[in-house]
Amino acid sequence: MSKSRPTYSPLYLDKTGKRHLIVCDTAEIPADALADGVTPDMFDERWTIAGHSKAIPGTERGAVADHEFRSMNHMLIALRRRLGEEKMGFRLYAVGAEGFLWEVRTAAIAVGMGGGEVQLNQVGSQARRVFCNHCRTITEGVTTNIVECAGCGAHLFVRDHFSRRLNAFAGFQVDAEEPGDIPEIEEIYR
Amino acid sequence: MSIAYKPDETFRDDFVYSNSDAAILRFPFPFIEDEYMYSVNIEPHVRGGETGAFDAVFDVDEHYIAECRERAMVLEQDPNRCMVLPHMMTAQWDTLELIMESLAEDYPEDFTLEKDGDAWTWTNRPLGIKDSFVFGDVDSLPLEPFEYITRQAQGDFTLQDQRENNLFMDGGMVTTQADWSLEFDLGMSFHEWHGPVPVAHEINVFDRALQYLLRLQYGHPVRRLNWTMTVNPRLDTSPENYPIWGPDRMTLTPENIGGKLHLRVELQTLFRLPRSNAILFGIRCYLASLDELTSVPKWGRRLHRVLRDLHPEIAEYKGTTRYREMAVEYLSQFDDGEPTSSGIGPDVESL
Repeated sequence: MSKSRPTYSPLYLDKTGKRHLIVCDTAEIPADALADGVTPDMFDERWTIAGHSKAIPGTERGAVADHEFRSMNHMLIALRRRLGEEKMGFRLYAVGAEGFLWEVRTAAIAVGMGGGEVQLNQVGSQARRVFCNHCRTITEGVTTNIVECAGCGAHLFVRDHFSRRLNAFAGFQVDAEEPGDIPEIEEIYR
Repeated sequence: MSIAYKPDETFRDDFVYSNSDAAILRFPFPFIEDEYMYSVNIEPHVRGGETGAFDAVFDVDEHYIAECRERAMVLEQDPNRCMVLPHMMTAQWDTLELIMESLAEDYPEDFTLEKDGDAWTWTNRPLGIKDSFVFGDVDSLPLEPFEYITRQAQGDFTLQDQRENNLFMDGGMVTTQADWSLEFDLGMSFHEWHGPVPVAHEINVFDRALQYLLRLQYGHPVRRLNWTMTVNPRLDTSPENYPIWGPDRMTLTPENIGGKLHLRVELQTLFRLPRSNAILFGIRCYLASLDELTSVPKWGRRLHRVLRDLHPEIAEYKGTTRYREMAVEYLSQFDDGEPTSSGIGPDVESL
């Protein structure tokens, strides 16, 4: 049982906050990502990812509660700017795949938000980002216990050891001791 | 007494490495009894102990020059073995001061620190270094202070920042490690970086150790011993280079295991730092072959018993699975069944 692997739970509305922004890496905020009794309309703003190239967020903060973005990176650019302008009482909530959650969290920590001011809940794919300890390349979207590194080609065993700083799980060459001795590859992180 | 350095030793490729009889007798043998289980085995780090390895704040031994050269080679090949987050600069200077003052006090023939206010001059005779700099002025040193001084010390070092009632590993110099990665673990909290260790979480070792360390006082450093085993006298058993050293584990035979398999002991020291309130964690690695260790009869008996009865999960975590049976079989010839005295001391004055 890993002690570095984060745990997540449904989001509740932090009543100590004054303004609440929820960000999500899909077009719709899944209802089961929120705690009982919490609905998307309780948040002052909802940022989602439409996943097409014409999506564009509104220009007036607060006037429009829903803002759509083209991709995670498109949203993160706006989020980093926005976080730099926010003041005390701001609360940030993120819903989505683990890689998205820790991008959001890192952006929040960078502007000095405390741990309790950001809530994360993982939904959707359990695929992992895997950091190759040997060549330092991150392989995205890993759903198997062993994956071929996108950088050096080593067959990496995906450890249950997560770095928030790198936003990735550790991977090491599974057949380093006896080259070619690779266990059966199974899909385990859907 | 001056140290007879062995500057030509190597810890890779041809592995030119051995311990003199004196070095064997001063080895920090890690087993206080005939069985081993994780515990918070922490004691005050005061000068003096059951072997000579505990005589100084930072132990310098016959391998010093060769180990510093090995560290420089690792850093040349992989600069990320030394990383310090930007908010740790005060802790960097704390570290430089502690190591310089300690080495100069413990080994005056080899190291000298002269101070004129903030104008310091550091002399390291074994490595042929003499530098004058201004304490607190980063630009007055050729490297940042933490890297500068830890390149001149044996063993790894990490810097722990204390905040939110926790410790965060926010810096380190890690080139002689037992298979853990600074680059991956940098920035982690205490429980996060210990995540992969089996068994110990379940018996709450880390909760208790963290509570203890949060209260660590300046001027009252502590120490503990940890251990694993390494094939060949290789210092750099990093995850980064696992594809290079992993195959070593396939090379052991009943004929060569006595000289090739090494007990790897970490003398771990913890210091509260005065200005930053950070903790400096020293992880000093000692390597001795089975043949060197079994030249001390008590240690031969005990090593056999510990390895034979080791908890399976701990044996697996320490990477001994492939060769433990062979090692136990080899060591059995040194175990006559006689009782052993308590404590780690060798019980002999010479070999």
